[in-house]
Amino acid sequence: MNKTNLIATTILVTSPVFIVLAIVLSVLYGAKDISALTVWQAITQFDANNVDHNIIRTSRLPRVIAALLVGAFLAVAGSVMQGITRNYLASPSIMGINDGSAFVITLAMVFFPGLPNYQMILLSMVGSAIGAGLVFGFGSLIKGGLSPVRLAIIGTVIGTFLSSIASAVAMYFQVSQSVSVWYNAKIHTVNPDMLVLSIPFGLVGLILALSIAKSVTISSLGEDIAVNLGQRTKWVKAISILSVVCLTGTAVALVGKIAFVGLVIPHITRFIVGVDYRFVIPCSAVIGAVFLAFCDVISRFINFPFETPVGVVTAIIGVPFFLYLIRTRGGEQRA
Amino acid sequence: MRKEQFGHFLTLMLIFIGLTFVAFYFHITNGAFDMSVMDVVKTMLRIDPNEKHDLVIFEFRLPRIVIAALVGIGLGMAGTVIQGVTRNGLADPGILGINAGAGASIVIFMFFFQMSSNNLTDDSWSSILMMPLFGFVGGAVAAGLIYLFSWRNGVLDMQRLILTGIAISSGFGALSLYISLKMNASDYEMAAVWIAGSIYSANWSFVLSMLPWIVILGYVIYRKSHLLDYFQLEEASAKSLGISVEKEKSILLLSSVGIVSACVSVSGGIGFIGLMAPHIAKRLVGIQHRFVLPMSAMIGMFLLIFSDYIAKTVFEPSELPVGIVVSIIGIPYFLYLLVKSKA
Repeated sequence: MNKTNLIATTILVTSPVFIVLAIVLSVLYGAKDISALTVWQAITQFDANNVDHNIIRTSRLPRVIAALLVGAFLAVAGSVMQGITRNYLASPSIMGINDGSAFVITLAMVFFPGLPNYQMILLSMVGSAIGAGLVFGFGSLIKGGLSPVRLAIIGTVIGTFLSSIASAVAMYFQVSQSVSVWYNAKIHTVNPDMLVLSIPFGLVGLILALSIAKSVTISSLGEDIAVNLGQRTKWVKAISILSVVCLTGTAVALVGKIAFVGLVIPHITRFIVGVDYRFVIPCSAVIGAVFLAFCDVISRFINFPFETPVGVVTAIIGVPFFLYLIRTRGGEQRA
Repeated sequence: MRKEQFGHFLTLMLIFIGLTFVAFYFHITNGAFDMSVMDVVKTMLRIDPNEKHDLVIFEFRLPRIVIAALVGIGLGMAGTVIQGVTRNGLADPGILGINAGAGASIVIFMFFFQMSSNNLTDDSWSSILMMPLFGFVGGAVAAGLIYLFSWRNGVLDMQRLILTGIAISSGFGALSLYISLKMNASDYEMAAVWIAGSIYSANWSFVLSMLPWIVILGYVIYRKSHLLDYFQLEEASAKSLGISVEKEKSILLLSSVGIVSACVSVSGGIGFIGLMAPHIAKRLVGIQHRFVLPMSAMIGMFLLIFSDYIAKTVFEPSELPVGIVVSIIGIPYFLYLLVKSKA
């Protein structure tokens, strides 16, 4: 117990170093060479007429902040889902939650174009809630439907369904290009106003997640044990769903669908700090943030000077890890 | 009893042939250029040929319908085999990642051979014929990976099979995306349309490139279809009947990978046909694969021609990729199957 305590504390204490490192790397390297001195000047004495200064201020800084935030949001959402459902496959991308939110955003862009940013974020949350509701609704309708694999299948299938309908609608109204911007991770074109708006929503989600961390640990032991220990499981579930919806909705509204962060990071975190969610949740936030920021930096160099979608990078790292989990954990065991 | 069953099977086959003809009729007469049945019949029988009708029928609509039919047949058969071999009613070439594997290797092929749309017409015969071959390599790699990761203690673990499939299809999907972004603009356009699963750029050379795969491998599979019945039993029972289970399974699986790859190389990723057709077929004609296999091929053909007709006409004059229509029709049915099945 003390040992995991120590590891978790170390991670949390040293995390600012890595976060700063990610920010520095991300701001310094990119398609355009900008010297460190210019970067410094862009932050301390901003000159609106200088192109380099503008690149730093409007593109690279918002971008790295978005990567850090989204990484943290998705990782925490994944941790909470995996803990509460005791399902080692639970994650926003596999459970159709990302697709639900992209679906609602597509409809909004088609039928109510030009909505203000904060309404987009809210709609995106509504979409996550719809996606989650559909997947878990079907899961509970079906016998054994809440088992890890069944739920993953249902999630994948419903996700495909929602995104098929969305792309049909988008094609019909001939907005598929602007919609595909939402579908594909668009971390490199993040909108600074949206970024500022999304922070409070995401923070609410994070705080909710942290506030139920202890209960998540108890839930992860099993429903019966949780009830026996006097936990109000319904409340915990409701808060956890609210938190997941806030986190994923904001993340999708901000940068689109990014796969595997929400699945892989919680597993890595549990390997490192054990199963106490009081440590898992904050640590996964930190690890997820740093992971996505580094993936974002890598994505600029795979096909230099063109950007590669960050989803490709996360999949390259995530898929082998996923296969490894399948290989070692097997199909029927639970997290 | 036997005769009765065969009669039942024949009747159903005839019904579906009739339905297919109806779909064919709608597909060939409707579109951006409407024609009457008489025009179609006249053009086909070469009575009073008319250049415009010739062009629309022989160059645009007929190859497209033929491809829809062939792809439907192929996916229907491949789905039956894969479900039979894995003994898993949820298995489907799309869910298992075979589509994605074949797709990725065809995108790689497109990338290296720079098949931009302008040289497609003249000297790209060999490359069109090569595409299914490349697809087969990718599909076989995907199938191999699936085997590798879901093999446990000498048997295929069904739970892992599906999981590995999900992982492999997203991996290959990312690979395709990455490579397609490295292409030049015209190649990319072609690859993007193709990945989404569409057949509206069909022409006769595609038909020729996939026909041998469907005919030869389809024949192989049909000859071995009775074996699928034994595979539904316990492994030991099949062995004690003197069947070399692993060998036959590998032949069947590889043949269906070949068929799927040929389909994918022409039409891109069309999911769910391979899932739905066998289920409907089993519900209609029972569990004997001698009957299920042709029935499922028939249903696949009908479904795909019908979906392609919807894809072509519903948002006229713009078209939907047929893959999207198939998922919108197919997924509710899939969920219905899941709800009905008992854990």
